[in-house]
Amino acid sequence: MLSPAAAPKATARPTRNRRIQQGLRERLAPYVYVAPFFLLFFVFGLFPLLFTFYVALFDWDPIGERRYVGLANFAELVDDPRFWGALRNTFSIWVLSTVPQLLLALGVAHMLNHVRLRAATLFRMSMLVPYVTSVAATTIVFAQLFDRDYGMLNWFLGLLGFPHVDFTASVWGSHIMIAVMVAWRWTGYNTLLYLASLQTVPRELFEAAAVDGANGWNQFRHITIPALRPIIVFTVVTSTIGGLQIFTEPLLANPVGGLTCGAARQCQTLTLFLYEQAFGRFHFGYGAAVGVALFVMVVIVAAINYLLVTRIRSERP
Amino acid sequence: MKRVITTAASFATAALLVVGCTPGSSGDSGSSDSKSFEFWSFTGIDQKTDVEAYKKKHPDINIKLTEVGSTSETAQALTAALAGGKVPDLVLIQGDDLPKFMQSPDNFMDLSTLGADKMRGDYLDWVMKQSTAEDGKIIGVPTDVGGMAVVYRTDLFKAAGLPTDRDQVSKLWPTWDAFAQVGKQYVQATGKPFLDNTPTSVFFQAVNQGTERYYDAERKLSYDKNPQVKAAFDLTLKVYESGISAKITSWSPGWTAGMSKGDFAAMSAPAWMLNAIKTNAPDTAGKWDVATIPGGSGNWGGSYLAIPKRAKNPKAAWDYIAEMQSPEGQLNNFLSKGNLPTTPSVYTDPRLLERTEPFFSNAPIGKIYTESVVNIKPFYIGPEDATIGSELLNTLTSVEQGKVEPANAWNTALTNVKNALRG
Amino acid sequence: MNPASSTVRRAPHRRRSSDQVPLVVYAVLGVMVVLSVFPLYWMFVVATTDSATATSLPPHVLPGGNFFYLAGLVFDTVPFVQALLNSVVVATSIGVGQALLCALAGFAFAKLSFRGRNTLFLIVVLTMTVPAQLSVVPQYLIMSRLNWVDTLQALIVPGLVSAFGIFWMRQHIVGTIDDDLMNAARVDGATTWQIFWRIAFPLVRPAALVLGLFGFVNAWNDFLWPFIVLKSPERYTVQIAIKALQNNRDIDLGLAMSGSFLATLPLLVLFVFIGRRLVQGIMEGAFKG
Repeated sequence: MLSPAAAPKATARPTRNRRIQQGLRERLAPYVYVAPFFLLFFVFGLFPLLFTFYVALFDWDPIGERRYVGLANFAELVDDPRFWGALRNTFSIWVLSTVPQLLLALGVAHMLNHVRLRAATLFRMSMLVPYVTSVAATTIVFAQLFDRDYGMLNWFLGLLGFPHVDFTASVWGSHIMIAVMVAWRWTGYNTLLYLASLQTVPRELFEAAAVDGANGWNQFRHITIPALRPIIVFTVVTSTIGGLQIFTEPLLANPVGGLTCGAARQCQTLTLFLYEQAFGRFHFGYGAAVGVALFVMVVIVAAINYLLVTRIRSERP
Repeated sequence: MKRVITTAASFATAALLVVGCTPGSSGDSGSSDSKSFEFWSFTGIDQKTDVEAYKKKHPDINIKLTEVGSTSETAQALTAALAGGKVPDLVLIQGDDLPKFMQSPDNFMDLSTLGADKMRGDYLDWVMKQSTAEDGKIIGVPTDVGGMAVVYRTDLFKAAGLPTDRDQVSKLWPTWDAFAQVGKQYVQATGKPFLDNTPTSVFFQAVNQGTERYYDAERKLSYDKNPQVKAAFDLTLKVYESGISAKITSWSPGWTAGMSKGDFAAMSAPAWMLNAIKTNAPDTAGKWDVATIPGGSGNWGGSYLAIPKRAKNPKAAWDYIAEMQSPEGQLNNFLSKGNLPTTPSVYTDPRLLERTEPFFSNAPIGKIYTESVVNIKPFYIGPEDATIGSELLNTLTSVEQGKVEPANAWNTALTNVKNALRG
Repeated sequence: MNPASSTVRRAPHRRRSSDQVPLVVYAVLGVMVVLSVFPLYWMFVVATTDSATATSLPPHVLPGGNFFYLAGLVFDTVPFVQALLNSVVVATSIGVGQALLCALAGFAFAKLSFRGRNTLFLIVVLTMTVPAQLSVVPQYLIMSRLNWVDTLQALIVPGLVSAFGIFWMRQHIVGTIDDDLMNAARVDGATTWQIFWRIAFPLVRPAALVLGLFGFVNAWNDFLWPFIVLKSPERYTVQIAIKALQNNRDIDLGLAMSGSFLATLPLLVLFVFIGRRLVQGIMEGAFKG
């Protein structure tokens, strides 16, 4: 027997090129695998993002003129009550939808975590039904339920002896209406997120607490909440970023409101304002400036998120 | 900058090759043969009837009619298409949206090169002026004007002890003040609101009855100085404060429901709105009648047909315009659908004058509506008219919704318009 | 998962009292189920009655027999079959694309070593929070330069990958695939692609499926971007078709409701089959701090 090394040596020459080729291909493979993401991200994500900053420096009419105006769009924006109104509306709708939604989700998740719960799958699945229902359909249904003259909600109010409420007309009414639509859609989803996190909590913890006489509320406060803190931060952040993007509800909730969500822009959100400026009035530059403002807000939210997460981490034993 | 976008575009194409798509494969399926063309219209005006009639006469022609959305949505879609995308061969543009497009007339075919120069004398002069660029290019051919009238429910009028005969009713309200008085009488007698709302039914009518609107004769913005605008605005507030309004916003679900349920007894109705009433409240056939509008003649609405420059089949689109918008064509549309012609030669045609509408108690709508446009005092409509109009209307709607005090309404409106004109 | 047995051992006499689900829990959960489902039921009621009953008070709570009439109107008013088809094409392409491409990229980040891997992965994570909304203006300009305005690929191509999807697939691949298995395959002469396609992908297929399903549902329900780029009715997705129905001022609310119902129905049917997986997917994807 010759040394084992001799065999490969004999075949080395004819396949060497192929091996190099193959080696190259193997080394390039990872880049090819991640390429689709980076290509598409560059073209449809990063480049448009940077380009937004550029467009915002212009008076840009897509079918007419394009004029460099420097920071004038931003100066206008800071001075524009419609922008601040939209910011207020966005924030208010976000608070009205997120806070009750997450509290409800926490409570329901705690209930769903009962080990002896019957029909658990049924409960879980029906809670996800709103998530698969499209926003457009949701909005049309809720707008009808909230209608001033013929809505079911006002009918109930009437039965109870209250006057009809014109939800779409008032600031609070329209915000509550939209917040209900948003909350309806996402409560179940967040419930399941919390439930998943809860299930990683050792059951013995709850049992030990029960043995020690802790009631449901105390278990909830002292076990559920602390265990869920990271996921709570996560859902707050995602719903904040989601809140900045609310568009379809205010667009469709007030069918005669056009792009302003009502006569006094009472429920026009930032994204809807962006759309109105860019694709209703075709002021691309001004619309892009609104986009930049949105970006700044996202960065702020992300920064707060980062701080919170690091704090939670460091608090841990 | 073009280059940067192009670079990005080529990256995208490369990305496409990576993921195995072919660009443009489904992009252009528009009309490519000379026998077919694409037509964008808006909802509520019913171009279907015309299109069907034309197809019947020319079975070889294929027209793809699309109702894009409301008037402003159609204008927005058109702008987006002109900015980059597939354009239709023929598009209907509402009168208040037209001036925006007149600012960049190069986006459209000059219709005088196709024969519109020979037809221009057929149309009302002031209507044609709106669609003629300063250098004489004709961008659009008018399809209809929005002559004004008030429609009212005879059954409800009767129950309130008011006259029901249309001539008598018309005599009740020569002016808007008299109109408000009639409304008050109705409210007192029935305890129910009289008018659907004031922003649309009063302001949008009254402001269109003047000799000047939001621009002055020099084509400068004058909405804040023009006493006629202020007068129409104050009038609306006054009518609102007289307590006759049902405060139901036009085109809301409650409005269409209210029409059939008798939640209000009267509303202003330009010629093109009769159709909307017929389809929205079919159960009320025969319960309506048409009276003249208080305050004299005026026009609200009216539309134009235009052909984008990049149209694939401008010839076929033009043939359609030439035939359907001839005086005879517009008369036929009026006789079947009730849109008021822009061609004065047919205003004396017996077929027009004798046209009655059974849904509206056989009212002679041809006579009523043409009378409201022949004495019209035309004014310049500028690129910001649509924006200004909707801001003023919105403020008045806020007043009806109790969100703005009538005393502050004018100042609020001016601020809103000022804000809307920025950006 | 065996929590019950440990309970039995620890406190057998306590078990019944502490584990019994209080009735109030069922009551609350029952209310939640009703609230979740009622708007859909109401949509169906209005979609099957005529305009007069839709606006009558007290409200009718039983479906009527008008569904086929209204559905017919829906099909007459907008090309709804075409819209359904468009939505299926867009949502399926995006679902499949995300499942495959994100698995591929996730695999590279999880199991292959290459220069710049950490930096590139950091970029992926960073982009997860930036909403696409804020740059719709340049996105539109790019689409019009590509001549993609009013085409379906304007919806599909940007949606084929997602940063979250890569993140998610990477987590799963790290957790599922054993390095020894890969090394063994390599010794046997398998190429990277073969390792991915024959070994890694089949193992994480359930996770990829869940990702694809979420991609499908999100694409199906997407509104803003289709609303911006789609102009002609034969390109509408169902969401835009609903908006067009709502706009149609000539006919009442029942029409928009029928359209909404018809647009939701396919997903509801799908949900019967995939609901469990979606639930499972959300619960598995739970944030692991």
